[in-house]
Order: sequence, then structure tokens, then C-alpha cells
Amino acid sequence: MVRFAFIAAFVAVLGSDSAFAQADDVARGAYVFAAAGCAGCHTDVKNNGQLLAGGRELKTPFGSFFGPNITAHPEAGIGKWTDADFIRALRHGRRPDGAHYFPVFPYTSFTKMTDRDMLDLKAYIFSLPVSAQPSKPNTLGFPFNVRFLQFGWKLLYFAPGEFRADPAKSAEINRGAYLTQALGHCAECHSPRDGFGGLRTDMLYGGDLNHAGQGTKVPNISPHRETGLGKWSEADYIELLASGMTPEGDFVGGDMGEVVANSTSKLTPADRAAMIAYLRQIKPVEQRVRGGN
Amino acid sequence: MKATIRTALAGLVVVMISAGAASAQAPEVVQRQDIMKANAASMRVLVPMARGDQPFNGMAAAQAATAIAESAQRAKALFPSAATAGGTRAQPAIWERKSEFEGYFDRISEAARNAARFAAAGDEAAFKGAFPAIGQTCVACHTPFQRPAN
Repeated sequence: MVRFAFIAAFVAVLGSDSAFAQADDVARGAYVFAAAGCAGCHTDVKNNGQLLAGGRELKTPFGSFFGPNITAHPEAGIGKWTDADFIRALRHGRRPDGAHYFPVFPYTSFTKMTDRDMLDLKAYIFSLPVSAQPSKPNTLGFPFNVRFLQFGWKLLYFAPGEFRADPAKSAEINRGAYLTQALGHCAECHSPRDGFGGLRTDMLYGGDLNHAGQGTKVPNISPHRETGLGKWSEADYIELLASGMTPEGDFVGGDMGEVVANSTSKLTPADRAAMIAYLRQIKPVEQRVRGGN
Repeated sequence: MKATIRTALAGLVVVMISAGAASAQAPEVVQRQDIMKANAASMRVLVPMARGDQPFNGMAAAQAATAIAESAQRAKALFPSAATAGGTRAQPAIWERKSEFEGYFDRISEAARNAARFAAAGDEAAFKGAFPAIGQTCVACHTPFQRPAN
């Protein structure tokens, strides 16, 4: 009798969960979409481009990339992609035809997403209006335009696989790590890169003195007391992620302005707190990017 | 003696360079930077109240928000030409999309005036509801028009 009740309850939970999940995929996906900041590179905001219709230029030392159209348009976008195609793109950095993506698409971070988050994200993207605008070709110099060479780059710099929680850390820190690494892909801009464009894994979150070779500096957000955010209070972190205000009362602009507007301000307070809990306990990296940071 | 002269000369060069840098800044640049600094000070009064980290003081909040609203209209006139971009964080996009840029000053005036009105009336909940629009406007305008601090 007890066993029957248990099984019945289990089935009921399963049933309601899948119904709930189906109804909720798109809503969950919208949250993943915000947390992962997809809109930024895939929308040409400057020219009032349609959401996810692509065309935004991303300058790098290797040439210019243009964020592609990732609306669900069957020809111009990703409308024909299967779930497996979508997962392979994010998890392994490969197109449906098997070709390798350039790591300007941060699959190096998205590889850590759960399957569920990836598929909810796809459900959300597929719920948005489509655009027939063709994606612009990248303008890369030789040999960086040889897509096959990305195979070698991946061998050197890419570790595919879903995020694994660290059992030695709290649930909050693990949630923060997931949000920061897998979704927010914060390290992609806030860390220095080597000559081949690979992240310096020994200096993660230590800032970048010459971001994407464009001369822009990206702050050190590791908890180093002198050169990072080690002196920030928890309230300072919260305010930066929630509204974009620095402890000095200035408001961030540029790329971080977009991150705040599109991503961090849209997270739940608990998720922001989790990111902060994670960021405050990572390894302090000594690298002075800005005076008096 | 030689060392002293060398030090003195080096000092003179430093003074000349910094004087040169100072004179390269147009008066509008100094004025608008002062406005932005004052706005930062106002935000540092408002944010802790809006977050509930500091007790709500309607008068102080109304004053700080009104200061932001009024300064925005003055600041709008302080971007006369791209020639005033030198040595500042102003992006050339300001002069390419002037009307969009100027629209943000109206938006922030309105948002700040709105928050000030609720604060002056002592309506803490309404103030807290109206407040985020100020910071959102700051970020929305800084994103395309202000170079990140270096």
C-alpha cells in the first residue's frame, strides 16, 4: 500500500513536472537568454536592427566578425536546426554541417550549460519573430580565415563538457559559478588572452589591458585587494550588477552597460547574490588595469 | 648641481605638459564633468535609500533627485561640437546621433523629477518604484555615448 502510494506520487510528480516544463520552457528560456546575454552580439543595436537578426560588428586582432542571424528563419537563421544541432553548437562549437565555430562565439563558456538550459533557450529563441536578413560574412585575414584550423585551436584551448558542481562549495557558490562561467561568460572579456586568442587560464577574471586588440581596458574583477575588487562590499557588487552604478556613483557604459541592461539587472536577486558569492571567493589575480580600481 | 638642474628641468617639463593638457580641455568639458561628478554624489545619496540600506529621508531624496533633473538640462548644452571630445570619455557617436543623445537628458530629467515628486510627498514606496528609471537612463545613455573608464 505504501509502495503503491509512493509510486502513484512519483508518477504524479513526473507527470506534472513534464507538463509544467512544456508550458514553462519558453519562460525559462527567456531567463537563460538574458543571463547568457545572447542579444548583445546577435543584434545590431546601433542601427536599430531586429533582435537576434545579426549584423553587429565585433572587431578582433584577427579581423572583423559579424554576429549572425540566429532568429528561427529557416534560410537566413537557425530555423532548421534540430535540438541536437543546437546542443552541438553550444556544447562543442560546431555548426550543423560539422564546421568549427570561431571562439568569438563563446561556446568555450556555453559548453558548461545544462542540456535543459540549452533547449529552453532554443525554445525561447524559436518563439521570437524571425528575420530574413542574411548573415554578413566575416572579414578575416589569412590564416585566421581557415576554419579548419579551429580544430587545432580547440585542441589547445577548449575543454568541452557540462558544468560540474564542486561538492566542497556551497550550493549558492556553485549556482554563482554556473551563472558566471556557463551563462554570463564573464571571463571571456574580463581575462587576458594570449597571442592565439586563448584565455590565460592562470589569470581568469584578472582583467584585460587590450581587449580584443582594440585598446580598450576591461577591469580586473577578481577579489585582489589592490588591483581588483577586493575592497568592494557586497552592496557595491550588488549595485553594479543590479543598476550599473560603481561605488563612486558613476554608471557603467559601453559593453558592460549592455551586460547590465540586458543581463545582470534581469536576474533574480538570489542569482545576483550567487554570482557575487562566487566572484568574491575566486583566486585574486594581481594585474593593474586601471589606477585606483 | 647638474643633478639639481636636471631635476628642475624635468619638473618644468612635467608642469608644461600638464598645463598643456589642462588648457586642451574646453570649458564645456570641465563644466559637464563637474555636473557628472555632482550627479554621482546625488546618486550616492539616493541609492542607499532606494535599496533600503539607509532610512528614507524624503527631503534629502527630493533635493538630490531635483539636482539631477536640473543639471541634465544644463548638461545638454555642454556638448556643442565634436571638437570638445578630446581628452574626455565622450564618444563621437554623440555628434553623429545628436537628437537621440539629447533625448536622454530629457528622459533623465523626467525620471528624476518623478522620483523627486514622490520623495517630497514622503511616499517612500512610490519613490522606490520610480527610482530605478534614473539609473536605467544613465546606463542606456552611457552604453553608446560614453567610453568606458580607462
